[in-house]
Amino acid sequence: VGLGLWPSRVRYTPRRALLVLDAANFNVLATAALRAVRAPGVDPIEIAHAVDTVLARGIPEAQDDFRRLLQLLENGLAGLLLDGRPRPFTWLGPEGQDAALYKFRDSAIAARRAGYHSLRRLCLSAYYVGDSTWQGIGYPGPPQISVPT
Amino acid sequence: MTGFVDARTLAPDARRLTPEVCIIGSGAGGAVTAALLAAAGHEVLVVEAGEHRTKKDFNMREDVAFAHLYQEGGTRTTTDRGIAILQGRGVGGTTVINWTTCFRTPEKVLAHWRDHFGVRDFEPQDLAPHFAAVEERLSVAEIPLENSNRNNRLLYDGCQALGLQAAPTRRNVKQCMKSGYCGMGCPIDAKQSMLITYLPDAVAKGATVLSRCRVDRLEIQAGRVASAHAMTLGDDGRTPTGAAIEIAAKRFILSGGAINSPGLLLRSGLGGAGSPLGRRTFLHPTIGTSAQHPDVVEAYYGAPQSIASHALSDRGADCGLFLETAPIHPALAAISLPGMGEAHRAIMEQLPHLSAHIALAIDGFGADEVGGTVFIAPSGEPRIDYPLPPRIWEALRAGLKQLALIDLAAGAQVVRTGHDPTLEIRKPADVARIDALPFAPGRIAVFSAHVMGGCTMGGDPARAVVRPGDLRHHTVENLHVVDGSVLPTSLGVNPQETIYGLAHTVATRLAAAWHS
Repeated sequence: VGLGLWPSRVRYTPRRALLVLDAANFNVLATAALRAVRAPGVDPIEIAHAVDTVLARGIPEAQDDFRRLLQLLENGLAGLLLDGRPRPFTWLGPEGQDAALYKFRDSAIAARRAGYHSLRRLCLSAYYVGDSTWQGIGYPGPPQISVPT
Repeated sequence: MTGFVDARTLAPDARRLTPEVCIIGSGAGGAVTAALLAAAGHEVLVVEAGEHRTKKDFNMREDVAFAHLYQEGGTRTTTDRGIAILQGRGVGGTTVINWTTCFRTPEKVLAHWRDHFGVRDFEPQDLAPHFAAVEERLSVAEIPLENSNRNNRLLYDGCQALGLQAAPTRRNVKQCMKSGYCGMGCPIDAKQSMLITYLPDAVAKGATVLSRCRVDRLEIQAGRVASAHAMTLGDDGRTPTGAAIEIAAKRFILSGGAINSPGLLLRSGLGGAGSPLGRRTFLHPTIGTSAQHPDVVEAYYGAPQSIASHALSDRGADCGLFLETAPIHPALAAISLPGMGEAHRAIMEQLPHLSAHIALAIDGFGADEVGGTVFIAPSGEPRIDYPLPPRIWEALRAGLKQLALIDLAAGAQVVRTGHDPTLEIRKPADVARIDALPFAPGRIAVFSAHVMGGCTMGGDPARAVVRPGDLRHHTVENLHVVDGSVLPTSLGVNPQETIYGLAHTVATRLAAAWHS
């Protein structure tokens, strides 16, 4: 039971007020964002803030689901019971974090798979929606247009 | 009060409204109905929960569009999060952000509704003049094949190479520059959405369109809607300001769209054990391929959908499919492409070379298919539960195999499935490997942009929420439902024109009946 109380390793703290997440959720999310998005100039704190903003537009039940997902990902006891890894997500090295996320992806439990995809999609879309990322993927951006007369 | 009005501007003593007709929702169903009833001399108030945003706000950015123009900020999903649902929100509804594809309702679908649901008032000959009127108003026309972008042309060429039917679609656009940003709101008003057509028509005839006004509950007394209770939404477009609005109309038209319309009726105390309300919701569950080509595709530019194939629409006893394309701008690509980390990045770096083709399952026609169920969550928000049956998964597997073959025939070097981890297909013999892949929630990405049903029409009150003909609620006499929620099945084509046509037909009938 003590594994479930293992404190997080705090690497990331919010830069501004949060809308949906708390500081603990935010730290886990930013840690995961750095694994989901491997690209130049990734700022996991800004990705986590962007995800927090998107979550605020969703319904309360979806917000609750996402908070629970982050808690489950971080919880050492759950990690031990479900995946055989007792350390919280934030204490794992990069390879361990990837492995933990892939355990969610490959889980026999549909809710865990769905959680992986929610986390992945929110982080990736939060990053690639920014125009500073477009050059690196060859996207020229919206065209210059003028209204036909 | 007439014109486009923001509910935040209503003075406290103006928050009790008494129009003759209150239309809840301003999308395809509500807008057409409003225009025709207003033209017939009725006093019409359209209330819309979303914001009134126009071309000056449409800056072709995904973050802005999802935040303001999509339900739940673009995060709406089924309860198990197995299906991502793209559905519009705001004045004009989904018509503001759809990809402009227009099809009349297939005649075999109308026949199915007649034979299985007692829908006898929407025969092809009944609907034809109404479709024609809508098509003229919305400038619906076929896009010439040579005007297709590369993404669509690849679908066409792949189908041609395999001997599969494929043809240009019709679109509701005028002076379209084919920028490719239909899904973010048309920045030049080329798209003939409700925002610039039927809603202004209604306003010109004296109607009011009240935005940021979210109806939370209908008060139903003695088999009639006495009033609608609404809240003003604040600057973020979602949070109530605390300013309540009461609408006491003589007649109510519910046009909130599938999911929101049944949701409002459920919140208002209708439904209950055994009720058809909220049931039979269909989504055209959709999977896709991303195929990498040696030349540049730039699937983010050009008319998003201009080619469709219905070669697989009729698969006998199996669930049918139709094939189309999807535009992939960076954020939509990021969530659609498989994987994470370096593997995902490697695919994203190929974005200009990727095509995106989709297969949509035609759900609702199986004898034992029940579709999704809309229910009210503890927060009061509507949610949809839709565990896909084996029949649909089989169709999606068949669709994926066909798309892969089409992509390869069109010259793709690599075809990737929406599985995670993905399967990379490089030659036709690889397609058989799809048979070994899992098809289940969270195993493969499934999307929907077509939400239908939940307030189905039909002759039997035990099986349907509204009656055919005038789409009046079976038990609430001054309430009609006019939107995609009345469809008893999916369609096998993009739904917008079906909703326009039904709305035009029903509004014409209502105007005549009320006049007499």
